[in-house]
Amino acid sequence: MTNYITGMNQLLAEHTKAVPNAFIFGQNINSGTFISGLSKNLSAHETSHIVNTPNCEYSMCGIGFGTMMNGGRAIYYAKQLDFMLLGMDQFVNTLNYIKVAPMPAELGSFSIVLITCDQGFQGPQSSFNGFGDMCSMARFPGFPLMSKQQADMVLRTQLAAPGFRIISLSQRLFRNEILDLPILASAPDCSWFQYSDGADATIVSFNFSLPQAVELRQKLEEKGKSAALFQVSFAEKYDWSAIARSVAKTKRLVVIDDSKSVHLPGQGLISDLLESGQSFQATVVRREGVDWGMTDDVMPVDYSSLLTRLNANG
Amino acid sequence: MHDTMHRNTVDPALATRVLQLRYWQHIVNERMKKGTTKMAVHMALGYEAIATALRSMMGPEDQLVLTHRGVAHNLAGLDKLDPALDEYAQASTGISAGRLGSMNMSNPSRGVIYVSSILGNNVSVASGLAMGQKLTGKNGIAIIATGDGAMEEGTFAENLIVSRLLNLRLMILVENNDFAMASTIAERRKPIDLKSVCAGYGVRYELLSGNNVGSYADKLKQIRADIIEKNLPVVVEVSLSMLNRHAGATPGWPGDPMQVDFFKNGLIINQDDTDPVFVTRSLLDPDVYRDIEEKVLAQDRGFLA
Repeated sequence: MTNYITGMNQLLAEHTKAVPNAFIFGQNINSGTFISGLSKNLSAHETSHIVNTPNCEYSMCGIGFGTMMNGGRAIYYAKQLDFMLLGMDQFVNTLNYIKVAPMPAELGSFSIVLITCDQGFQGPQSSFNGFGDMCSMARFPGFPLMSKQQADMVLRTQLAAPGFRIISLSQRLFRNEILDLPILASAPDCSWFQYSDGADATIVSFNFSLPQAVELRQKLEEKGKSAALFQVSFAEKYDWSAIARSVAKTKRLVVIDDSKSVHLPGQGLISDLLESGQSFQATVVRREGVDWGMTDDVMPVDYSSLLTRLNANG
Repeated sequence: MHDTMHRNTVDPALATRVLQLRYWQHIVNERMKKGTTKMAVHMALGYEAIATALRSMMGPEDQLVLTHRGVAHNLAGLDKLDPALDEYAQASTGISAGRLGSMNMSNPSRGVIYVSSILGNNVSVASGLAMGQKLTGKNGIAIIATGDGAMEEGTFAENLIVSRLLNLRLMILVENNDFAMASTIAERRKPIDLKSVCAGYGVRYELLSGNNVGSYADKLKQIRADIIEKNLPVVVEVSLSMLNRHAGATPGWPGDPMQVDFFKNGLIINQDDTDPVFVTRSLLDPDVYRDIEEKVLAQDRGFLA
């Protein structure tokens, strides 16, 4: 069995080494804990540089953008999502400028690879998992790495692509077996992935909730039902057309999102489909509330009630 | 005071540019007074010597990063005033096609790559540009023009650490105008000995003062050569007097004690060393200065109509 962190680390090492002329940097990137194993075994293309940097998150984000503006490729390995709150000014103000202003060279790339600390027992701080909130504030893409195949596609096509994005692992999944899910279809920009088609329900997972979505699909199959399964990344603009086609067929949409955010893109999906005139049953699986103290941080999912609602318990 | 025995000790081309930058800024100021230019430009009257000197030493691959008060540096990169005025008018013929306005106006074709209105935000972007130059094999330096307010932000110190670690060709120009968010240094903090701060981080420090465009240009040229030779950052603090209000026209309100009036007083605002045009005049023979002034003022009259 290959666990999640080992599998993801192998993919990261493989795809990072393939990027030429890159500035690859981060705190503890090649020393200490290797960022909890995130950057273990990392090596650089012969024309690239790996540099261990001091604890200057805000400035390192600015340096990433400056490198990108001059046509360079910057890859910033960082420990955790909440550390990047220090970079929000760069994500919003600097990136907005880059979107509008003429650049001195063909735009390079800037990718931040990090871990969302959603494993629980982090206490009131360091448990921020609102990945989509961060992406939404400046409308940049964010890619939660979930399955082996999806991570491979994201890293192959996005890691050194022109522009900025954040790519995140889920620490909650580190010791789990890595999801082995063949991809049925996907968007060219990796903004969504479809893992299966089905006639009885359309399940759409956001943030790091793909395992719960896979479990729901499994329970439906055990009841003789088939479900379409989608995973949606965070995007500047969502294209719901593939999901809409599935919902038109199944008439049942289940959105699952484990984020602690108040604002969930899945609710936008439901709203957009309703506005387009589609008629369907909508179910949102989300956190009912958030305990900001020391907890396991697990989002409970009542599968029995879900199956009943999806007419699969009869 | 400047010794009259040393008249004509400044390159007439540099002197012409100092006067032209002052004249162009007067035009912008007068247009804001009239309402012809509606945008509240963050003027930089008093920056003409450093802006001219910096531009004179920039190499073809050097890259300049500015703040919202980047007007003098931006104008120093132009051959004519129209593209700047058009940008302030949000016209498609503006330097940045009317999309960036005054506080973010850039000009990549003249080396002005990034202009930020966020205090301290641009220091690390300049470091990144220097890193990008290394990666793409360019042979210039990155120059960040920041100020005595922005150096209070933590990112300033972070970039002293990181630019030295990464051996970046970076000139950190601290334009100390004793002014940040409309407050003086004494009004907001205790003095900072920037020379000692730089020494603590192992970064070379240089000080420019006196508004002599010729000596500024010579000094900056030497510092640039050292940055390229040693692949190390240098902090250059320049003492400035800002001769205008924070943003918009000066005077800023009826009864404002700060007066800038081109029609009444001509180019020079302060009759002392705080004014780069006054200093430039003192470095030139009166006839030479008069010729330069006449030539400069003969241009662009239509913008004052």
